[in-house]
Amino acid sequence: MNRREWLKSMSALAVGALAAPSLLAVMDAHAAAKAGGPAMQFFSVPQGDVITGVVDIIVPRTDTPGAVDAGVPRFIDQMFKDVYTPEEQKRYLAALAAFDKAGSKPFLQLGAAQRTALVTKLHEEALATGQKLDPVSAPAFVLMTKKLAMSGFFMSQPGCEQVLQYIAVPGAYHGDIPLSKAGNGRAWAVETVLRI
Amino acid sequence: MEKNTYDAIVVGTGVSGGWAAKELTEQGLKTLVLDRGPMVKHGDYPTAMKAPWELPYGDEPTRHDIERHPIHTRPSFYGITQSTKHWFVDDIDNPYVETRPFDWFRGYHVGGRSLMWGRQSYRLSPMDLEANGKEGVGVDWPIRYEDIAPWYDYVEHFIGVSGSVEHLPQLPDGDFLPPMELTCVEKDFRDKVSGKFGGRKLIIGRTANLSAPLKHDKSPQRAPCQYRNLCMRGCPFGAYFSSNSSTLPAAEKTGNMTMVTNAIVYELIYDNDKGKATGVRVLDAETGHQTEYFAKVIFMCASTFGTTHILLNSTSSRFPNGFGNDSGELGHNIMDHLFGTGAHAVVDGFEDRYYSGRRPNGFYIPRYRNVGNDKRPYLRGFGYQGGASRRDWTRLVDTPMIGASLKRAAQDPGPWTISMMGFGEMLPSHRNKVTLDHSRKDKYGLPLLNFDAAHEENEKAIAKEIIDDALEMFSAAGYRDVRSFAVQANVGAGIHEMGTARMGRDPKTSVLNGWNQMHACKNVFVTDGSFMTSSGCQNPSLTYMAMTARAAKHAVDELKRGNI
Repeated sequence: MNRREWLKSMSALAVGALAAPSLLAVMDAHAAAKAGGPAMQFFSVPQGDVITGVVDIIVPRTDTPGAVDAGVPRFIDQMFKDVYTPEEQKRYLAALAAFDKAGSKPFLQLGAAQRTALVTKLHEEALATGQKLDPVSAPAFVLMTKKLAMSGFFMSQPGCEQVLQYIAVPGAYHGDIPLSKAGNGRAWAVETVLRI
Repeated sequence: MEKNTYDAIVVGTGVSGGWAAKELTEQGLKTLVLDRGPMVKHGDYPTAMKAPWELPYGDEPTRHDIERHPIHTRPSFYGITQSTKHWFVDDIDNPYVETRPFDWFRGYHVGGRSLMWGRQSYRLSPMDLEANGKEGVGVDWPIRYEDIAPWYDYVEHFIGVSGSVEHLPQLPDGDFLPPMELTCVEKDFRDKVSGKFGGRKLIIGRTANLSAPLKHDKSPQRAPCQYRNLCMRGCPFGAYFSSNSSTLPAAEKTGNMTMVTNAIVYELIYDNDKGKATGVRVLDAETGHQTEYFAKVIFMCASTFGTTHILLNSTSSRFPNGFGNDSGELGHNIMDHLFGTGAHAVVDGFEDRYYSGRRPNGFYIPRYRNVGNDKRPYLRGFGYQGGASRRDWTRLVDTPMIGASLKRAAQDPGPWTISMMGFGEMLPSHRNKVTLDHSRKDKYGLPLLNFDAAHEENEKAIAKEIIDDALEMFSAAGYRDVRSFAVQANVGAGIHEMGTARMGRDPKTSVLNGWNQMHACKNVFVTDGSFMTSSGCQNPSLTYMAMTARAAKHAVDELKRGNI
């Protein structure tokens, strides 16, 4: 599959108007993004905290690092600061505001179980609504944040190296081998993409 | 004047210019090599070793990048990323005019597009070189396959081309390094295509990546492919052919090359008394300072439209309509390959098979239409390039998976998918042309190129069949969710620019003779894509290399004979 086609199929994944210029993502300074790094540049502190809370539910720390460990909130901040258009920025901020009103209390005042329940419910709602999803709704915020969280995480170093597998310099190509013989048998962090 | 005088001048350092520099210097000519952009030494590839997490913005263009590259971020192109944007010109600073839309993707630096090219390397076949003459299209090529064949051998041996020997009349074999492997699904598709469609064959792509060490010791800076599939950033291993890694180091080693960068050639100098070109006029891209350089022979390798721009801009009492343009064909007969349409499908099964390493290559289905007994209502044909691999984590975005289960699911490779895109032949047409717009100037005061080209009836018929056949083959193979795709693409999107200074036997209807030599000025050779008389459907760079080496030999022989 060539890259053009792959990008095309990526946008097909995005539900309705949520399609953003890019869902593939990772930030320049993951290290700087971790706790103690510079503050967010696009989002306010409360907005950043909501995003961090949602990202942590979507890709949590398990026996491997999670999206917050990998600096994904800062990645999302950078994408909105420099990549997304003003309309996309506006849409996402409005969806975030709608999300913050979707629970019984503002998101940050909910307990851990309530937060997970809310995000899970809105995520299911977004998938069920499909193409008709209102881009400034609470479900749209969850789905968009899921895409960004996955993009940032699976292109981060922990995502590539500890969850998926990544070899910077493979040195050889084997085109047809048992899955069990393909490194540790996990999905490659960077799939083969033919650039014509 | 003395210090600016050489035996030969080469304008441009891409695929063709690099070869001209190598061949002329190795045959003893003191050669001045000019490039309009900055120096890029082999190894000077700033993003080559970056991991995914070391690139800002997930490697995507920022708003600012898109603002500076309105052309290069059109849907038909993917080069404006954080890892490769530095190889492409800023569209705001390098404008052109589009009477009809044209996708012009270019890089101004030493090595030119040889740094970013797709590396697919195919020979034209005897039938490609005969077609125009047989069918009465355009003009007949003044050469035949036998004239180029030894030069294909010569350049393949030097650059290293990986591929398989197939004995196909429409796609001659070459001097290959070992073929790369197909994936299990590509093998499955290969077997089904040959089983259900007689005469069609799926082979591994032929690519200028070193699948094994070179068969010679002239390029110690080139190592075998490491299967990173990051070629377009520049390869610090020298594992694919670029001018930077291959021909320019060879030229430099002779001690006969002088290279001047940031040197924009804007005019050829013609001497009425001698009936020859005597040199070139150059603008310094940074200072605007003007210089003249002189030589006995000049090789124009500035890319199809770069060269055409210079020739059209070189007017004199002898050549009022552009240098060497007695025929009126200069700038006409633009060709590219049909690009951007094909199909994809999901392939069930094969879950226990995978691959390791990232192959910088795909499969190829050579042209089968209008070959042998196949007869279509249109002329010529097309080939497909494609690949089959497994889907990555992006497939999980619109599934109900969330949290720990999402992380676990992402660890499994996704289902297999297969896709392929057609590359179709474009016929030469006098209506498809580029001219100079003297009312609009760039920042150097040079007139802008104005593109006026579009696909015509034959191309439209081919484009339809590319999609129909792709859908038919995937369906016949029993694959699922078979769908066509059509990327919005204008002429130019294939980046296989050809035809604006075509070869031919008759000076009344062509610009160059069978040696890439100007009919009207024998010491000027044009060996970039502008010489192409027809386009075939094969990726053309290998042909430019072979023809450049052949022309350089002829130029040196003619100099020795005192004929130029």
